[in-house]
Amino acid sequence: MRPTRSAAAAAVLLLGAAALSGCSAGGSSGADSGELTFITDKTWDFDTFSAESKKDIDVSLATTAYADQEAFQAFVKQSFRTNKSPGLFTWHTGGQLEELVAEDLVAPTTDIWTKAVENGDVAESVRDLYTVDGEQYCTPISVDDWVMYYDKRTFEEYGLTAPTTWEEMMTVSDTLVDNGVTPFWNAGGNPWAFVWFQILAAGTDLDLYTGLTTGEVDWTDPEVVDVMNIWLDMKEKGYFTDPGSKVAAETQMKDQEVAMIPFGTWYASTLTTVGLESGTDWGVFPIPNVNPDQETTPVAIETAPACTAENSPQKDLGLEYAEWWMSSEAQTAWSEQEGNLPYNPNAEASTEEFQAIGAEFADPSYEFYLRWYEAAPAPILTASLDQFTGFMTNPGDPTPYLEGIQQVADEYWAGN
Amino acid sequence: MSGRIGLITRYVVLGGLGIIWLLPIYLLLANAGKLTSEYSGSELWSPGNLPALLSNVGEVFSTTDVPSGLGVTFLYATIAPLIAVILGAGIGFAVIVLKLKHGFFWFFVVFCGTVFPLQIMVIPLFASFSQIGLFDTFAGMTIVYAAVATPFSAFVMRNFFAGIAETVFEAAVVDGASAWRIFTRIYLPMSRSALVVVFILQATWVWNDLLLALVLTQSASTRPVMPLLAALQSTEGGGSAYTVVLTAALIVSIPTALLFMFTQRVFQRGLSLGQY
Amino acid sequence: MSRRSSTNYQRAAWGFLAPGVVAVVLVLHLPVLYTVFLSFTDFNGLGDPEFIGIDNYVRMFRDPAVLTSITNTLLWVVGTLVVPVGLGLVVAYLAFGLPGGAWLRVPFLVPYALSGVAVGVVFSFVLQNGGALSQALAFLNLPGSELRWLQDAPLNTFAMIIASAWQGVGVNALLFTVGLQSIPKEPLEAAKVDGAVGWRLFRFMIWPLLRPSTTIVVGLSIVNSLKTFDIVQSMTQGGPNRVSETLGVTMYRNTFLNSEYGLGAAVALFLTVITLAASIIYLRRQLTIGEPVKKAVRS
Repeated sequence: MRPTRSAAAAAVLLLGAAALSGCSAGGSSGADSGELTFITDKTWDFDTFSAESKKDIDVSLATTAYADQEAFQAFVKQSFRTNKSPGLFTWHTGGQLEELVAEDLVAPTTDIWTKAVENGDVAESVRDLYTVDGEQYCTPISVDDWVMYYDKRTFEEYGLTAPTTWEEMMTVSDTLVDNGVTPFWNAGGNPWAFVWFQILAAGTDLDLYTGLTTGEVDWTDPEVVDVMNIWLDMKEKGYFTDPGSKVAAETQMKDQEVAMIPFGTWYASTLTTVGLESGTDWGVFPIPNVNPDQETTPVAIETAPACTAENSPQKDLGLEYAEWWMSSEAQTAWSEQEGNLPYNPNAEASTEEFQAIGAEFADPSYEFYLRWYEAAPAPILTASLDQFTGFMTNPGDPTPYLEGIQQVADEYWAGN
Repeated sequence: MSGRIGLITRYVVLGGLGIIWLLPIYLLLANAGKLTSEYSGSELWSPGNLPALLSNVGEVFSTTDVPSGLGVTFLYATIAPLIAVILGAGIGFAVIVLKLKHGFFWFFVVFCGTVFPLQIMVIPLFASFSQIGLFDTFAGMTIVYAAVATPFSAFVMRNFFAGIAETVFEAAVVDGASAWRIFTRIYLPMSRSALVVVFILQATWVWNDLLLALVLTQSASTRPVMPLLAALQSTEGGGSAYTVVLTAALIVSIPTALLFMFTQRVFQRGLSLGQY
Repeated sequence: MSRRSSTNYQRAAWGFLAPGVVAVVLVLHLPVLYTVFLSFTDFNGLGDPEFIGIDNYVRMFRDPAVLTSITNTLLWVVGTLVVPVGLGLVVAYLAFGLPGGAWLRVPFLVPYALSGVAVGVVFSFVLQNGGALSQALAFLNLPGSELRWLQDAPLNTFAMIIASAWQGVGVNALLFTVGLQSIPKEPLEAAKVDGAVGWRLFRFMIWPLLRPSTTIVVGLSIVNSLKTFDIVQSMTQGGPNRVSETLGVTMYRNTFLNSEYGLGAAVALFLTVITLAASIIYLRRQLTIGEPVKKAVRS
């Protein structure tokens, strides 16, 4: 690479000088300047949040949003090799974080976490998600629990109440189907094809779900086939929306075509964009166990980490910001702005719906697990999304689909 | 008279096809003219209304970053294609008119620039650009866009020059004109419509590019409009309302649509085949 | 003529050629070299690439979906040559010389002017299950409203080819229009005097004279259809279950979804070799070195 690079450098510069005057943009600055370069694949409103931090700690964010998640990740990975490595960037937990840590690319945040846990700013269980080999890396922007959103208007219309068990939920679904309303939202493709498999697998046996993420369980095991058959059965009963529709879930709920949508607590702000109000139009309930004999009720969580590159010119500033993001001031502001559930118990959820579910989830009968999108290794995730989409599109015997995933899994676990 | 019937047939066929072509545009406009509370997936054909459209337009300008990228995008989309048009015309001139030895080989080298998929090139481009300080600069983006647009430009100009009679060149040589003079005074003016086509097609391409802009720019002063627009679409909450995104997507397409309309006059000239 | 070997013009020719060649080679060709290197390595985007010989190429052809991918890509090539190229010629020819013809071309150009986001929205509006197309067919009592345009293969590939034609016809029409304009008047007048009209005039006079334009349109269509990526990625992501995948999507999937840069590079190079081969075969025939048009016309 070396000779080509310098040759390219010389010639491109020559060309550039001949054709144009460079008008390079500023932006990269030292640790004490107060403006932090922040790059993200999220569409959240970081500008409003930046105003808050400016007030509180005199650091503001210069945010660049990357729409395409895959291109964003490739970009971040490459930036570690350059002097453009970001002071703060969003990432994903699970395998993706481990990958960066293995190469010593992210700054450890162990001290920040120790203090935050002592303060009671964040739960131990969240810390586990940020721990790789005993050290912590990155800090959470948000921690979102997966719940079932339901249309209160539709439920009221047919005299239904939020179910507390799987059986009740199926009864509710039958009533909805009889009245021409599709009970559940379900979509194919990347990213959302995994949603119902996750609910059904974890709700049947959380160990089974975990085993699939670690390679201890084969996709062709009869337990997995059973899970798929529950999915098939629900599909045949008309419980799911058409996976070939590209109409957004919130629009379908607004039109009262679908009654329930499983999503993370971040989804609240999206429902607001179509004019549905928390509490009056929609509510949430915990997704019940498929298998009532399971001791705890599993709740999927996902968390958006903000990380600092180890070699970033803005490392100190980035870590300062990350620490502040966990504080109750920041979390209250964040929750107010995004309408989601703050992970800091000292911060307050902005809606009664979420205050209630937050209190509910504090009960030890709930067990939190990492959602499929972060928990599965990348090639297995990609293969599973493809096969699940195929299964939804042409429902039938799940075996060939599971064999398809197993083939990729075999290859992956053989090499890792 | 068969001539008149032929003429009418042509109008009818073109007009009919044109209407079919505009139907999807109607869908876009109709749904951009709805508030998200009015928009419904099962009533896509129902018309929108002006107040909703205006409200969406207002939202685009008051709540999104999209308008802030318009200026720099305009500069990229005019300067880079201009450079590409000139570079491409130069290549075509050298290969066809000046009959450069191994001209086909050199032309093919340039043409190969279109062969490789851009998606795979962005990563090495980012690596080398950040190495030599062109990452996130106006110059860097202009160079990339000009280079990407050059093969197409060379292809069109080469073939256009090939259609010009050799006697044109020979006469100019007899007059004692230099190659540069022949190029600028004779060949470029003769190929006005080809130059315009290359320019507008490449300007549109640059205007609508997302991938290169996404990876090679970062700060507000260099980031063009497409990554800003794409960033409005959310998968995980946040982002703008759906019909606002749609409105923004249409607003940023107005300049390119106007460009096509206003350059159509250039193609009105030329010989008339109307009577056949 | 002595001009052909004249060093004077050869030197001048280099001056005209060099800037463009330098720009293209530096910006577009150098990254390809890096990709060639990557295709022989195992690399996840972090750390250092590890040399593994031709393993990536072996793995690529072992993937059963690659065959589907190749088939679909070829469908795209054929489909693109038939629909957008053919229709582009029809539009250009019908509108050429027609009073107001330029304005009649505008509807075909507007789709090309649209931003990618708008195009993505249009296609999902029209082609999704129960979308605008199905709604319209049902309203008009026409068959087909129950078809799953994007979900069943090979229907989804055909549907997407039509959708890309919606975007591409205008550009092809414009390029053909330039070609029509550059056709010299005299031979046509002569042909008219000989009594050539209608189809015969087109087939034996205009079509051969259009060759420079046809070469551009067909050449670029071959290259671009082999690289088909954007529309498939935004419509079906190559699915459901990889049935509509093209080589461009396969490459993206390996590189960006699975972070297997080496494998993605191998697919990219395979795609490049096919594209180069197709271009050489086509262009060598069309662009005979030196005096392409005269020969084409005479033959």
